[in-house]
Amino acid sequence: MQQGIHVEGLSKQFYRYHADRPTTMKEAIVRRFSKWRAGERFWALRDVTFDVPPGEILGVIGRNGAGKSTLLHLIGGVGRADRGTVWVPRPIAALLELGAAFHPELNGRENIFVSSLVAGLTRAQTKERLASIIQFAELEPFIDNPIRTYSSGMKLRLAFAIGVHTSPRVLLIDEVLAVGDLGFQQKCIERILKFKSDGCSIVLVSHDMQQVGQICDRTLWLEDGTVSALGNSEVVVQQYELAMTRNTRLHTPTQSSTRVTDSGVPLRTNQNRFGSMELEITSVRLLDTLGDSVKEIRSGDPMQIELGYTPRKTIESPIFMVSVHNAEGEVCSELSTAAEGIEVPTTHRPGKISLNLERLDLTQGEYFVDVGAYPSDWRYAYDFHWRAYSFQVRSAHEQKGVLSPPHTWQHSEDDKA
Amino acid sequence: MNTLSRAVYYRDLLRELVSRDLKVRYKRSALGFAWTLANPLMYLTVFYFVFQMAMSINIPRFGPFAFTGILVWNWFQSSLSQAIGAIVHNRELVRTPGFQPAILPAVTIVSNLVHFLLGLVLFILFLVLTDAGPGFRILLLPLFIAIQFTLTLGLAYWLAAANVLFRDTAHLVSVILQLFFFLTPIFYQASMVPEEYRHIYNLNPMVHILDGYRSALLATEVSWSALAIIIGVALVLLLTGYRYFLKLSHAFAEEL
Repeated sequence: MQQGIHVEGLSKQFYRYHADRPTTMKEAIVRRFSKWRAGERFWALRDVTFDVPPGEILGVIGRNGAGKSTLLHLIGGVGRADRGTVWVPRPIAALLELGAAFHPELNGRENIFVSSLVAGLTRAQTKERLASIIQFAELEPFIDNPIRTYSSGMKLRLAFAIGVHTSPRVLLIDEVLAVGDLGFQQKCIERILKFKSDGCSIVLVSHDMQQVGQICDRTLWLEDGTVSALGNSEVVVQQYELAMTRNTRLHTPTQSSTRVTDSGVPLRTNQNRFGSMELEITSVRLLDTLGDSVKEIRSGDPMQIELGYTPRKTIESPIFMVSVHNAEGEVCSELSTAAEGIEVPTTHRPGKISLNLERLDLTQGEYFVDVGAYPSDWRYAYDFHWRAYSFQVRSAHEQKGVLSPPHTWQHSEDDKA
Repeated sequence: MNTLSRAVYYRDLLRELVSRDLKVRYKRSALGFAWTLANPLMYLTVFYFVFQMAMSINIPRFGPFAFTGILVWNWFQSSLSQAIGAIVHNRELVRTPGFQPAILPAVTIVSNLVHFLLGLVLFILFLVLTDAGPGFRILLLPLFIAIQFTLTLGLAYWLAAANVLFRDTAHLVSVILQLFFFLTPIFYQASMVPEEYRHIYNLNPMVHILDGYRSALLATEVSWSALAIIIGVALVLLLTGYRYFLKLSHAFAEEL
């Protein structure tokens, strides 16, 4: 049996509302029936593909109108896709339109029952969880008052409490973590992480980039209904923020190209490769002292990292960056020309730049090299390759940690007791 | 979820939504449920004065006769006119993942059924206390309620779904219901309709369903063959209406 959420080639078309579309029968009859949908169409989502395995949180970011809510609704089974498939395990808990079943005249307790039933619980289950819901919402003193007397924060807290008291296999959250004060937000996040550890597949739409970076395992960036980037949250969020501060979209190439690196990893635009491509990093080689490509070194060996680049136009003083990190994503070393005050001259011709690492005193294991080229003000990336190159470090002895400095042990015994 | 737990769930959901409806309707009113009877009693008073005193139409036991008609029609009309808006007035619910909008028309009919049954119980008590009480045929009452329920629900699915696409549906139906109030023998007898129009008049299913109720409560005559046809029609209407509703339901979220 399949596990988790699978979305493949999902596309959804909407008809833009305009004066031409009749909403009454008279108008429909007056105009010919065949015409009433001839209006302008636009793709709210186009060819969106991703998986959310159990126990993973996928963040969805993007501008307003990028298709984030449409995506959540389609995953939740509301509306039908024009193309593509969605496979979702049930039950689904959705924190989309919080308090949809609330009635202002009913009290908190009565509303909990209605909303829990709508969310998929039976009466018996609701009774069991009633006390816990009220406690989670921190509404004990007010629970017998009509909901119309609640503040909007209280209503959202109650709705959220009901949502998190179901036992879903899929949790969809739309921009609701801004509920209540910081304490309550923290409690909500803890609860979401609990769902995650219970094996729930979670999709979280948020505008809070810090939050996305912290709690999402991967992040999907939607732009005008298409996947602009999908991958490591920190990287995608960083790219998104760069794009938002300076409209790199103008520079971002429209067609995505795929190239396979020397280490056999395909480079895909906006998955492990980001940037405007005004300057392209065309080759990355990890070399030993003899100038041969290496995949494996011994701890303490030297290594040369050689970047070949091709500018598309005249580039003024680009910055090159190389970072080495381990399989867990811990950065072992991040070095850039700018940090060391080395100025790369203005260029319009292809060239090479090499970084000589005289010793790599790392413990054994697999390491990754990220490379990047940036404008002199770091505002966005020309080209950035993420986790595309790797090498192994061997050592004679088993070691823990990251660093393995050159070392010897010395032992002596005191003569006197 | 297996079939049994699904059944339990939908029963619970229906119950909770109906009780929400009932609680909300007379919230913050002093008389509460008593208002349910205010409208039929008002009609009865008007009919009594107009048709008995002023026009002196000769119908035996006119009070109980007309009151049966008013109660039954009231259930039919208020269910249908509310069920039509069941989807368009519950946008948030319809857009909730996992929620089956098909339950909404049923909810309005059931909550109106509760009011109807309440009125019916009081009415039967009244009959027992003042008049000759209804005979053993009162046991047939659930059958007529079931027929009317099926018919109303079938119509409700067609109309509630159509109303999402064309909001005129609700207005059109309210006019038609008003018309059928007069084309149903509520305050007169079907036999008073001239013979030459009778066959068209008899196409109105509520004519025969109402006859059924009266036969159960007031021991009058009923056409079983007509009722058999109505049962068939009501079932077909329900099945096709439900399918039409499901077919359109994926578009509800977009149209609301």
